Amino acid sequence: MSLTIAEAPVERAPLFPRKKKGITPRSIAILVFLAICAAFFCVPLYVIVTTSFKTMDQIRQGDIFSLPLPLTFDAWWNAWDSACSGIRCDGLKVGFWNSMAILFPSLALSLALSSVTGYALALWNVKWANAFLFILFMCAFVPFQIIMIPLIILSSGLKVYGTVWGIAIVHAVLSMPILTLIFRNYYKGIPHEIMSAAMMDSGSFWRIFVEIILPMSANILIVVLILQITSIWNDFLIGLTFGGLGTQPMSVVLANVVITTTGEAAYNENMAAALLTAIPPLLIYFVLGRFFVQGITAGAIKG
Amino acid sequence: MQKRVLATMAAALLMGAAPVASSLAEELIVYHGWSSKSEVAALNVLQEALNAKGHTWKDLAIPHNSGVNVSLVNLVTGGEPPNAFVNSDPGVFRDLQGLGLARDLTDYYSEIGATENFFPIIRELSTVDGKMVKIPLFMHIDGMVYWNKDVAAKAGVDPAAWTSVDAMLADFPAIKAAGFVPAAVGGQAFQVGYLFHAMLAATAGPEIYNRLYGAEPDPAVFDTPEVRKAIEIVRAFSNEATPESENRPWNETTNTVIAGQALFHIMGDWMKGEWLAAGKVPGVDFGCEVIPGTKAVSVTSDAMGVLGGQPEAIDKAELDLVAAFVDPVVSARANQQKGSTSPRADASTEYQDDCNKAAMAALSVPNGQVANPFNITDSDWHNAIWTVLYDFWSNKSQTADDVIAGFAENYEAIFG
Repeated sequence: MSLTIAEAPVERAPLFPRKKKGITPRSIAILVFLAICAAFFCVPLYVIVTTSFKTMDQIRQGDIFSLPLPLTFDAWWNAWDSACSGIRCDGLKVGFWNSMAILFPSLALSLALSSVTGYALALWNVKWANAFLFILFMCAFVPFQIIMIPLIILSSGLKVYGTVWGIAIVHAVLSMPILTLIFRNYYKGIPHEIMSAAMMDSGSFWRIFVEIILPMSANILIVVLILQITSIWNDFLIGLTFGGLGTQPMSVVLANVVITTTGEAAYNENMAAALLTAIPPLLIYFVLGRFFVQGITAGAIKG
Repeated sequence: MQKRVLATMAAALLMGAAPVASSLAEELIVYHGWSSKSEVAALNVLQEALNAKGHTWKDLAIPHNSGVNVSLVNLVTGGEPPNAFVNSDPGVFRDLQGLGLARDLTDYYSEIGATENFFPIIRELSTVDGKMVKIPLFMHIDGMVYWNKDVAAKAGVDPAAWTSVDAMLADFPAIKAAGFVPAAVGGQAFQVGYLFHAMLAATAGPEIYNRLYGAEPDPAVFDTPEVRKAIEIVRAFSNEATPESENRPWNETTNTVIAGQALFHIMGDWMKGEWLAAGKVPGVDFGCEVIPGTKAVSVTSDAMGVLGGQPEAIDKAELDLVAAFVDPVVSARANQQKGSTSPRADASTEYQDDCNKAAMAALSVPNGQVANPFNITDSDWHNAIWTVLYDFWSNKSQTADDVIAGFAENYEAIFG
């Protein structure tokens, strides 16, 4: 059991208490290494942020490391309010609200589907449970692009193609393998005595889930929530493919704003647009990051 | 819970059905990938023209510049295809025709008197397997010379006086001595490939060009003085490449000319959008001409197709859209916004600037146009040409012989 639990995706290693030590060659080496790693991300970020505050005239000079002079917020405002995605020039806010409209149904569906499946597989005697789990696990390795066209035909048969619900269902189904595994591993750690006691009190499948299991799953729910919010928000292909008309998520609108083949490029607006799109998942990390680590470690230590 | 899931499913079904039922017959979905300022301005002209016919434009913008156009295939598969779609790849039209879509417009063009007014090269580019299926919207010339007049004055050279590419190259030392980069170049396979095919068309003419880029290339053309010459020109340009030109997009490359660091840039005339966005005026701040001594210009036609095979009212509306978009005045106005040139020889000259006039003149030369490789060349072969030339561009120790050997080797692999 503990083996399967170790398979839960650990994005950040748990923090170990540091011992106080003087400066050694080893610690210098580590510091230098970490500084290089940080620079690896920070230098491009610096360019993106400064470019977004520059005027196009300054950008045309071609010095990407210079500071923005004069400093202007126009690019940010234009990116949000008036950048063109096709013939509609209402900025990224259109995509932002579309993304919001996609996010909540997708989250609700995927969480509901995988938590219940994980719960059933972990705590109930389901026939062929292992075979089912194995198949699910295998499905996690099937690239979306391979099943895209069949999924389009299916969703169009279900009459959800081109709607928010189409996107939500596809998100829920595609995230099911990995999320189910996470939930199942977490629920496997719940002592059997709790389940036995609940059953003796004549709790039904749903009642035990809602009244006993769900209240115990706050940690893992937050982990899954963060994973899902990030992946749904950053998704491009599913939203593009199943969104059809008028439900293009922010990532697609961003692509429209930024990608140009034979048109002129407004780099300051492009950078501001990219940053605007990245803000929501970042906020989620800052706000819920603490719980994320807690949830991951709770899952890993239990059982 | 199960009931709730069912209820959501039912709600989803209802929501899915609603937009389909409410769409009006005259609402046409126009699918394209244009979002930059000049492109949107051009689209607005087209939209106005469509509205004038009593129909409305439903916009669907998805960035796509790959020939295959996966999103279009997806939309058709999902049963929500756009009525008009931007695409130039003949393969996509063939696929759609296989599904009974992509309307043949040959008869309609004759009916509205458009056929004979398209430039001959446009007629050729709009035809797939003998049927005119494309609506030519914007015509671009793949290799035009745009120069900064201010820099030209400071360097004491006059690009307008160049009569051949050799005369252009002969001025390079003087320009460098004045402290400017003569030719702005971007080290990307696409830019090198475009420079080569534009130069080959300009210096060697249609016959050699079509033997290299035609659907069935002629291996005997590889080792000709003309092809060798075009390769040598590419080398001369690669020698001007500054370190920061590595992988520099064409926009930024053009901007080095706008900013006055380089004298000129040879690129498709879509770079006009960058100049206009920077507030520069054609003929005043910058000059434009086709490659000096041009024998033929390579032409790109940004085109649309219409679906066809729809209910009668929509079919009718789609034809109205075609008539609106190829109208000589609408076409001239839209092309003015986009920075391109109207595909109609009878387009109103009132909406043309100096650069358009240079382009129109080149298009009126008999037998002086060739089709952009994306329209005529086998895609593997085209890729191979790009790869060979980009290796040559990046590796200064390679010679024209290496390129010719590279062509022969790839020809063998693809067609052998």
